Amino acid sequence: MNVALPIVATASLGEARHYLSVEHVWKSYTSGVHVVRDVSFTLAPGEFLTLLGPSGSGKTSTLMMVAGFEAPTRGAIRVDGRDVAQLPPERRNFGVVFQGYALFPHMSVLDNVAFPLRMKGLGGAARRRAAMEMLDKVGLADFATRRPRALSGGQQQRVALARALVFEPDALLLDEPLGALDRKLRESLQIEIKELQRRLGVSILFVTHDQDEAMMMSDRIAVMQDGEIAQLGAPEEVYLHPETPFVAGFLGDTNLLRGQCIAQPGGHAVVRFADGVIGPARLSRGGRRPGIGDAVLVSIRPERIGLLQPDAAADCVVEGVVADRVFLGRHTRLEVAALGRMLIVSAAVQPSADVVPGATVRLGWSGEDAQILNESDGQTPIRHGRA
Amino acid sequence: MARREAAGRAVLYATCMPVLLFLLLPSLVIVPMALTKGQMIQFPPIWISVHSFTDYIEDPQWFRSTVLSFEVAALAVAIGCITGSAAALALHDRRFPGKGLVTGAIMAPIVVPLVVLALGGYMVFAWLHLIGGWIAIGLLHGMLVTPYVFISVQTSLVAALNPLLVRSARSLGAGRMSVLRHVIWPAIRPGVLAGALLGFAVSFDEVVIALFLQGPNAVTLPVRMFTAIQFELTPKVAASASLFLLLSVLVLLAQAAVLRRREAA
Repeated sequence: MNVALPIVATASLGEARHYLSVEHVWKSYTSGVHVVRDVSFTLAPGEFLTLLGPSGSGKTSTLMMVAGFEAPTRGAIRVDGRDVAQLPPERRNFGVVFQGYALFPHMSVLDNVAFPLRMKGLGGAARRRAAMEMLDKVGLADFATRRPRALSGGQQQRVALARALVFEPDALLLDEPLGALDRKLRESLQIEIKELQRRLGVSILFVTHDQDEAMMMSDRIAVMQDGEIAQLGAPEEVYLHPETPFVAGFLGDTNLLRGQCIAQPGGHAVVRFADGVIGPARLSRGGRRPGIGDAVLVSIRPERIGLLQPDAAADCVVEGVVADRVFLGRHTRLEVAALGRMLIVSAAVQPSADVVPGATVRLGWSGEDAQILNESDGQTPIRHGRA
Repeated sequence: MARREAAGRAVLYATCMPVLLFLLLPSLVIVPMALTKGQMIQFPPIWISVHSFTDYIEDPQWFRSTVLSFEVAALAVAIGCITGSAAALALHDRRFPGKGLVTGAIMAPIVVPLVVLALGGYMVFAWLHLIGGWIAIGLLHGMLVTPYVFISVQTSLVAALNPLLVRSARSLGAGRMSVLRHVIWPAIRPGVLAGALLGFAVSFDEVVIALFLQGPNAVTLPVRMFTAIQFELTPKVAASASLFLLLSVLVLLAQAAVLRRREAA
């Protein structure tokens, strides 16, 4: 949460910048199903916040409630302190871009972009001028008279963005806008959206199931699971210091090691793993702290485990036997039998030629990269924005 | 191989051509019969004169019936378009208990025998003192047209109205009426048009209801023809039937144009 604070401070300097806050929002059905449970977050002016989660995690429902297409069962949605939860979508001031863009097929590109201005009662000449300016900003001024169908997927995407931005919305809400595109185009549009956002200073609430996309674009990520925010933080924070096994697993490959907490000197833990291996580990910020003697689950990212030279030291050192070695271009993936299980190691530097299946290797990692997870994952999840 | 293909094609033509001919024959016979020189409708006709067409147009009774049929069809199409489109819009994307029943009620005029509708209509309009006027026929025909417009608008809603378009429009500041005008109407317009054309054809040559509800000043063209074939045997019947043929060809062409535009859109 405190990650957002510096941005908040700049916003208080004034200007027409808006602050979106979602407070303890629930979406429940009479059947007793809770699609969204007690979700709270804030979107600071100019911030890029991503709701990341698998399908059914409640991320799209949350976005739809902010946009006004669904009504929250409980909770408040505020813009600059004013509750907008009861307003219909057309009376909120958000630019929404859907997957598939939803451009009006019977209107020209220019008319599409001018549409929100027309709805606001702006005169023909003024709205065409404003729409043209916006099209120019997304580099599509030459396509103004075309029909949306005549444009490529990427161009349609930019028209949709221009249309959602032209009326100076309080925030841009993007619902998996890149889901339908192929990987190459998606990556270039990710950069483009990010750049457009920086240039125009608009706040963005983004929904995706793609962790790489979330990581690349966001200032902060809210990882959602079963209708709740499992963890909210900066990309490097949620990636390197996940708080639950779900977050650890959803954001990429990880090694989950069982152990026992044997001491807690100075704000971190000392964990005894299998085979009597002992190493330091980070305590999770939220949630319950393990007591001395408690069983713990520790997550270590494959690329944070190093292959140690014979004389090198590390916070925690284990010996293992290489079981598999796969070259993957950007890195080499090793499977090493150690601590009574298989450890996955991702080496960015090509390991030496004698690291082959059957060879014995020394592995090591830093206590900063061993993250103790909150195991009550799923039953009594951690609440953010409250603790 | 080529020979077998040719033989197969010959068999195909040999079986299909007679069937197609059989289907078209009654229609094709009408025009020559209208071009007869005789004063009676007869087959084979005595060629060739257009007097039956001029007689038909100059006969005030026949002319009146033709205009009346157009009036009835216009009223029926107007009613059918409003009710059919409204029903399709209301039911689109909605789930509620009894939706099947509501849909069934809208579709009923297609399934319920015309005599039943005609008799029921006769009783109700007699009680309302509306028998003998073209408005009664138009109202009942409007009911008949409704399911055709309903189906055709429903089809274009499913095909052309992406629900995200409505959401997009609303998030861009469009209220319900603006959504109707700027998003829904462009999507259903071809459907309404196609339904209206079909409905026009249905009303224009409907004879059972028109027969039940007729009056001295409310004789539609098909009813006039039906009476004429029994008592007059005039070639004007064939002439007006030719007009029907022409109209239905026009409707078909117009529908094809609407469909082509829908595909191009």
